[in-house]
Amino acid sequence: MFKIEVFTKEKFKNSKGELVLSDILSIGVRTILKVRYSPLYVIDGNVNYSEVRTLASELLSDKITETYVCKKCIVEDTVKNSKRDVVFFDDGEIPPPVGVCSTIKIWYKKNVTDPVSESILKAIKDLGIVKEFKVKRVGKYYLYGKISRITLHNITAKLLVNTLIQEYMVNGIYS
Amino acid sequence: MKKNKVLILRTAGTNCDYETQSAFELCGIAVERVHISVLIENKSKIFEYDILVFPGGFSYGDDVASGKVLSNEIKNKLGSEVRKFALSGKPIIGICNGFQVLVKIGLLPDPELFTQVSTFSHNDYNKFECRWVYLKTGNKINNESNCIWTNKLPTIVSLPIAHGEGKFIPKNKSILNSLNKNNQIVFRYSSKDGNIPRYPLDPNGSVDNIAGICNKKGNVFGLMPHPERYIFHMQHPSRKNFTGKNHGWGKIIFQNAVDFVNR
Repeated sequence: MFKIEVFTKEKFKNSKGELVLSDILSIGVRTILKVRYSPLYVIDGNVNYSEVRTLASELLSDKITETYVCKKCIVEDTVKNSKRDVVFFDDGEIPPPVGVCSTIKIWYKKNVTDPVSESILKAIKDLGIVKEFKVKRVGKYYLYGKISRITLHNITAKLLVNTLIQEYMVNGIYS
Repeated sequence: MKKNKVLILRTAGTNCDYETQSAFELCGIAVERVHISVLIENKSKIFEYDILVFPGGFSYGDDVASGKVLSNEIKNKLGSEVRKFALSGKPIIGICNGFQVLVKIGLLPDPELFTQVSTFSHNDYNKFECRWVYLKTGNKINNESNCIWTNKLPTIVSLPIAHGEGKFIPKNKSILNSLNKNNQIVFRYSSKDGNIPRYPLDPNGSVDNIAGICNKKGNVFGLMPHPERYIFHMQHPSRKNFTGKNHGWGKIIFQNAVDFVNR
């Protein structure tokens, strides 16, 4: 299993992050100074590192405005077969950017169709990689500025997640 | 005598193909809308046509990024044919999503290079912008543009836009300089009197206000505005006749290409 995280280069605008920051300000939270959004892709199947690098550079990131990190991770079968897939998205091995105080990760629940993942599977075949595997997509938000754990959960629940179809995980240095 | 034909390439999410077909038909040329799967099955079919169109829309839901999945498909399955078509000098136009595809497969700004050297990102104001804008035409900026699509246009025209990822970004300064040096920037967002615009006249914060570019030869053209939505003068919100005839500025763009292939 591989994880690919795509980062917007610092000199370019991170539009989704800026939108979330303005939403956070609009609900009265003033201690967050910056938000950056990064999509994280979990590639699960019989692919090798070179194929994953091709996916990351040719398909999942933009050569001009974005950069990416690829990591191989080993997941026990018992975890793979569990009902919840939280562990899939615990990407502790990809270090957050400097200055980040909190992260929020959001993904679709099992059995909920993720249309973007479906498009990615089609595009991977177009790249000439014809193998059986799954793609899961996680939205990661990096928050700069300390907040309490309750506020972090409030931001997530009020602004970012639809708990009917999505799951989330938060990590942070709390004030 | 061989009858000239236009190929409008469509796929999942294409939604401006019918209007573009009407625009070309009004210019007196036969048009076929062909699904990309059909073209992949029979790649040489592309050479039966004289004009190639990448229409607007939201191909594959604009998943990953605008036009990314379609450009990946074209590059890997039809790349050499599309490049050969472009290098043969036949006209190619990419409108909005089509422009994003042309840039991402590397057909613009240089089909010989066929490598992505520029990109699009989200509009500076983080919103989908859908309205009319003013454009300064390249012909009048330098009077030297080779673009076959933008002949006979005045200094300032207005066309509608509808996009969320329209900010054109060249890879570096030297790419931008070469676009300027070779008169490849044929449309720039502008104010009504031709000055440098600010939001909302500049809808997306494109580098150098770029709204449309062509290749050096002038046959491959991409633009964010939708010329197919201004074919009749009554389509303009002011209902005024700016062209002196019953058509809008958009029709002139399509007519230029038709006249070129009929010559």
